[in-house]
Amino acid sequence: MSWHVDDQVWQAYVGGRLDAAAEASVDTHVARCAECRATARRNAPAATAERVWADVRATITVPAPSAPVRLLRRLGARDDDLVALSGADSLLVPWAVAVGFAVACACLVGLAGLGPVNQHTVFLAAAPLGPVLAIVAAYDALDPLRELAAPTPYSKLRLALLRACAALAVALPSTAAIGLVVPAMEDLAWVWLAPSFGLTLGALVLLTWWDAKVAGAMVCALWTGLVVVVRTNGTVDPLTEPLAQAGFVAAGLVLAGALVLRTSTLRLQGGEL
Amino acid sequence: MSVVATFEQVSKRYGGTTAVRPTSFDLRPGVVGLLGPNGAGKTTLLRLLSTALPPSTGRIVIAGFDVTASHVNRVEARRRLGYCPQEVTLPRGMTASGFLDYVAVLKEWKDAAARHAEVRRVLDLVDLGDRGATRLSRLSGGQRRRVVIAQALIGAPELLVLDEPTTGLDPEQRASLRGLLSGLAGTVLISTHQTEDVSALCDRVLVIDAGAIRFDGTVTELLATAAGRVHLGPSASTGAVQTWKTGTGLVRSVGGQPAPDSCVVDPSVEDAYLLLRSEGRTRQGVT
Repeated sequence: MSWHVDDQVWQAYVGGRLDAAAEASVDTHVARCAECRATARRNAPAATAERVWADVRATITVPAPSAPVRLLRRLGARDDDLVALSGADSLLVPWAVAVGFAVACACLVGLAGLGPVNQHTVFLAAAPLGPVLAIVAAYDALDPLRELAAPTPYSKLRLALLRACAALAVALPSTAAIGLVVPAMEDLAWVWLAPSFGLTLGALVLLTWWDAKVAGAMVCALWTGLVVVVRTNGTVDPLTEPLAQAGFVAAGLVLAGALVLRTSTLRLQGGEL
Repeated sequence: MSVVATFEQVSKRYGGTTAVRPTSFDLRPGVVGLLGPNGAGKTTLLRLLSTALPPSTGRIVIAGFDVTASHVNRVEARRRLGYCPQEVTLPRGMTASGFLDYVAVLKEWKDAAARHAEVRRVLDLVDLGDRGATRLSRLSGGQRRRVVIAQALIGAPELLVLDEPTTGLDPEQRASLRGLLSGLAGTVLISTHQTEDVSALCDRVLVIDAGAIRFDGTVTELLATAAGRVHLGPSASTGAVQTWKTGTGLVRSVGGQPAPDSCVVDPSVEDAYLLLRSEGRTRQGVT
């Protein structure tokens, strides 16, 4: 080599002050000149390699968010809420409950050879309970990480509600699919929503007193009992009337208020929410 | 040294069964070992201290916050403690760093960059710095155990409660964990069946049996209770608590009347523990 990169050029190169042509010239020369490669190693800031490695490590060890998480993040969901939900393995049980219950319900309503009146009765007795069962299954009693979550300062109420929302995200479309896929159920396809709203909030309120299985059993018994009583007096049509539907929504709103009151009281009394 | 945690007449009952009898003790900075047989109440006591379980009676104070008084106090105490349970069903689909990120959120690390840096820090502490991106299902049992220990270290808690953390670790990993725990500045309560961990690591020992604390003192004080009561000889001591033939062909006897030609040997923590257990059983009328 007839020439070598001098100190002034090296400083400009390392500092990024060379223009593109001069930088390309240095690159080409260094690739062919062992002496300048040795100089280049001496000129490279000692900390650079460590910093680059730390950045690489930081990048590869940051948990890669799944597609739904990326979507929810774009929609404005809080990062820590999404991470709290990312213990997603623990939500497989409620999701399986929601889908399994919907499939079983659809089979019962559509394939059991029931007459139209009994078909409506079974549909109305079962469909509103799909979201309730999913929420009960999502409650922390079945969370395998409960033992780790319990002694942390994170609000257990927030965690329970986040898990309830995640459970509902699968339970609501699954339940809606029953009325849409079973023939001759179009008229009742959406009437389960209002009672389900009330029952779900009722279950959440009961969960502040009793454990998940007891609360779920109480809500299921109450609703199926009501449907059976109405059916014994004729058809279940009164439950689908606008007045009854409005009543379920009103009951849901009252129970939502009770839930807020109940959780606030629990906080004051040193409860576990 | 300031008191970090206090148990005041704390008990725990499950229906008609008493898991922990009314118990009182203080914890100060340092490593405290909790020894006891299976079913003695160790895990219940640790769950009470970690606030995972409310006591039936008594008062628990952590870092000045009475956790039995209010939810607010309990949350404040939880911000200052780390808990490693004996058994955790890990979500096998998550990566090690993803799981620790989840626990860090539960510990109120809201800023993502700071949280990720903390996750890398605790992974390095348990020598899993290069395993962050590995799924938990692909880690060995010992590595998964170290991930569970790592989650307890998030936030460098003032009080660390570890329930049999060395289970499933090989000797090298156990030595590494000892090094880690001995270098921590706060208070560590560690439950273990490994008496050598206690002698190597702990400033103080609690021995629990049948839900009650039978011994509370330093390792030296525990060893002193067995001084002159452990013998090595050609045959076993009469009425010994435990005897076994050593590799040299001589019989080591813990307690009892020494056989002729036996000599007294230095007791180990295990010897002292066995004697303490034996005396506890005698007091309770169990033979």
